[in-house]
Amino acid sequence: MKSSAVATYKEWSAYRSHMLLSLVVGPVFFLVQSSIWKAVFQGRELVNGLSLEQMLTYFAAATLIYYLIMDFADWNLQMLIRTGKFITFIIRPMSHWFFAFSQKVGHRVLGLFFEFLPVYLMFLFLFKIPLIPVYPLWFLLSISLSFIMMFQINYCVGIIGFWLVQAEGIRRVFLIFRDILAGAFLPLSFFPELFQKILFFLPFQFISYVPLRVFMGNYELAGFEMSIPSIVGIQALAVLAMTGITTLLWKLGIKRFTGVGV
Amino acid sequence: MIKSAFAVYIQGIKTAIASRMAYRTDYFIGITVMLIWEMVVPMVVFLIYRSGVAFPNWNIYEVLLIQGIFMIAKGISYPCFFGIVWNTIVRVQEGTFDLLLIKPRSALFMALVTGFDAEDLGKLLGGGVLTGICLANLPPANLAQWLNMFIYFILGQGVMFSFAVIMAGTGIKWVGNFRLYEIFDSVTAFGIYPQSIFAKPIRIIISYIIPIAMIGAFPASILLGKPVPQLGWVSLGVAGFLTLSLFYWRRMLASYTSAGG
Repeated sequence: MKSSAVATYKEWSAYRSHMLLSLVVGPVFFLVQSSIWKAVFQGRELVNGLSLEQMLTYFAAATLIYYLIMDFADWNLQMLIRTGKFITFIIRPMSHWFFAFSQKVGHRVLGLFFEFLPVYLMFLFLFKIPLIPVYPLWFLLSISLSFIMMFQINYCVGIIGFWLVQAEGIRRVFLIFRDILAGAFLPLSFFPELFQKILFFLPFQFISYVPLRVFMGNYELAGFEMSIPSIVGIQALAVLAMTGITTLLWKLGIKRFTGVGV
Repeated sequence: MIKSAFAVYIQGIKTAIASRMAYRTDYFIGITVMLIWEMVVPMVVFLIYRSGVAFPNWNIYEVLLIQGIFMIAKGISYPCFFGIVWNTIVRVQEGTFDLLLIKPRSALFMALVTGFDAEDLGKLLGGGVLTGICLANLPPANLAQWLNMFIYFILGQGVMFSFAVIMAGTGIKWVGNFRLYEIFDSVTAFGIYPQSIFAKPIRIIISYIIPIAMIGAFPASILLGKPVPQLGWVSLGVAGFLTLSLFYWRRMLASYTSAGG
């Protein structure tokens, strides 16, 4: 893992200026969010159980968490299958899953230095958002699980490439829904009650919503309130289940690979 | 001159549509994706209002009207001229930008002609539907308001063109960086909400200096009978932004080293 991660780190270091764009994009989006919620909260203490301070913390933390967990395993795997380059991974002494995961580790370590840390400091000093998790160790565990969960879900989307030659459209649709259902655009507590109940049983909340609520120190969705250890435990079980689904899909998909794009 | 330029442009559109139609299913999936993506912000607004809160003095249809008109603006500009951004970035990266330089038209015009993006028509469709729904639920605007709105809307297209030129120019130097779109999306996010929610310094910047508010917020405000800055001042802002973008493009083009490929 170390060699693949270091190689990816070095490869992407050549494009670190691209990553630095996050220093503009993240804070500018946050400035818009901040204006929206300040206007919405005029004359109100709470909206859907969240105070203005909690809401701003939610969006600032969501931005930062994304820098820690994002990946493009879906795009990468589909591209490798479509072009036939995937054939080179079959003859390697390690699984592609593990290689792609190692790549993600290297890429996100770079993101930690060039995206997460600078934007964290901007939020802290420019916007005065106190971004310190209520339970640091539980948050660390939760974010590690969401790191794996994001990868597993994206990898499953990539596996679709074994069935469809041109799966770009489906990939993009899925990513939009993934971000909506993960609570990246709005806390899931804003969704209708029935929808929240469905979301509770889907894996998407474990990507962003759960680590965000762990960061804030309380969890609530669809009327279910849970202690932080309980929801992190459920998150760990969900990651295990997702690993099973990924393995199953992989076994079915790899049978269809013919290397025709080579 | 204008007639022949128009003919070349139409030919570019025909070629782009014909090549895209070779993969029809993917094309229609692409349009659907665009439509879904563009509906995310209106959905967020809907969910906020559903929670019983609101932007002060703005009802949900008024806010969605801004977003609908903004989507229409994107639905026109993205297919028609915003393609110069990805076209330039890809060509510079591959080294095929040189082919545009040897043609008997300006490089910017050729980037525009060869950059028509039929997939972005999904934005126009979504914007049209959203605007229609909002207008049906709002008091009707009079003819003068519609004419005034149209003038501001056209100026908003000038702002979009300026943005496209600046981003394409940046793509000449900042090779292969498709994240430039993210900067555009983040900056223009100021233009899809009521201007009254922003602090005064931000309002001044997005009205006169980087006139994002011209794209959707001001045209919608006119139809709603809400106050907007005087046409003369905002026109100056748009003209200044456009001039700056063209100057920037020339500077970037002059520094092009033809090292791609």
